[in-house]
Amino acid sequence: MKRYLIVPLLLLWSLATLAAGTQYVMRVDGLACPYCAYGIEKKLKQIDGVEKIDVDLEKGLVTVNVREGVEFTEAQMKQLFKDAGFTFRSMEKKTL
Amino acid sequence: MRKCRPVAKAAKWSHRGATMMTVLLSGTAWAHDPIFGLGPHVLYKGGVEVHLEAERDKAGSDREDAAAAEFTYGLTGDWAAGIELPYARVQEDSSSARGRGDIGLFTKYRFWRQDTLGAQESAAVLLKVKTDTGNDNATPALGTGTTDTILGLTYGYESIKWYRWASLRYRRNGENEAGLHRGDKILFDLVGGWRPTPPSYYEPDTVWLLELNGEYGRRAELNGMELANTGGTEWFLSPGIFWTKRNFAVKAGVQIPIASDLDGNQEETDYRAKLTLEWHL
Repeated sequence: MKRYLIVPLLLLWSLATLAAGTQYVMRVDGLACPYCAYGIEKKLKQIDGVEKIDVDLEKGLVTVNVREGVEFTEAQMKQLFKDAGFTFRSMEKKTL
Repeated sequence: MRKCRPVAKAAKWSHRGATMMTVLLSGTAWAHDPIFGLGPHVLYKGGVEVHLEAERDKAGSDREDAAAAEFTYGLTGDWAAGIELPYARVQEDSSSARGRGDIGLFTKYRFWRQDTLGAQESAAVLLKVKTDTGNDNATPALGTGTTDTILGLTYGYESIKWYRWASLRYRRNGENEAGLHRGDKILFDLVGGWRPTPPSYYEPDTVWLLELNGEYGRRAELNGMELANTGGTEWFLSPGIFWTKRNFAVKAGVQIPIASDLDGNQEETDYRAKLTLEWHL
């Protein structure tokens, strides 16, 4: 019986490992309205591997979950936020 | 209500009708900008804004309903350009006409921006050219029969809770084929905005606005002769609302006249109302 449980559990564990991605939390200035911030979402969604986006206007944070292997650089984000009409300040990265 | 037609019922262009067209076409709404005034908002690079607008201007027995579709493109994060395609229905006394209005081309450049946590302060310049493309064969005419230029300067501060804007626009009007030169106009706006509840990115967001709009118009000229019953100053107090969800916005407002000093005998504005729907794509 144990054998039958171990196999699916191992499979689930391996799938979870494969799905592990990265979360980027970016400090952005100028976020004053959700409608205006839509351009950020639009720009980020153009990047292959972006899975989830959230914007906290009061804290000035843009949180992005990406697939494993997708890397953001500070220079890339600085340009992206400039094109969206905001100012990029800093970025933190953590593995999900 | 003072009522008297201006002298220049010049051909198919009445001065009043032309004045109304002037008012309706002075605005170019952008994103989170005021409803009647001008703000410094532009559009993200590569973004497309689709903007549908309906407006009514009522002055005595004259009434104009105008609808317009605007398409704006974000050239950079601070520079956008677009086109305005109006459709107008003009009623003056017993005659009315409807059809294509004058097409407008516009561009706005945000030359200064100061971003801080939860706030954005910026300034921009606007250039708009209203072309002579409306249906002038109608009576009353649906276009002004002229090419007009609008230059605007605007400052805005937006935060999570409060908004404020100030703007100044100068409208240089051309002369139509009947020799009528509508007086140039200066438009001045002061606007305050308040967001009652803190915004959440994926939730609907509401901002209440109160605008003070001033309009000064020089006297019109017909073949070089000043027309007595033209020009003057009007002030409006304009409450409005801005409702958004994600990339969709609804804006609505009413201009209520609070002071008027029109030269000679002219219809004073009773009210103006505007409703806009907008998408960012």
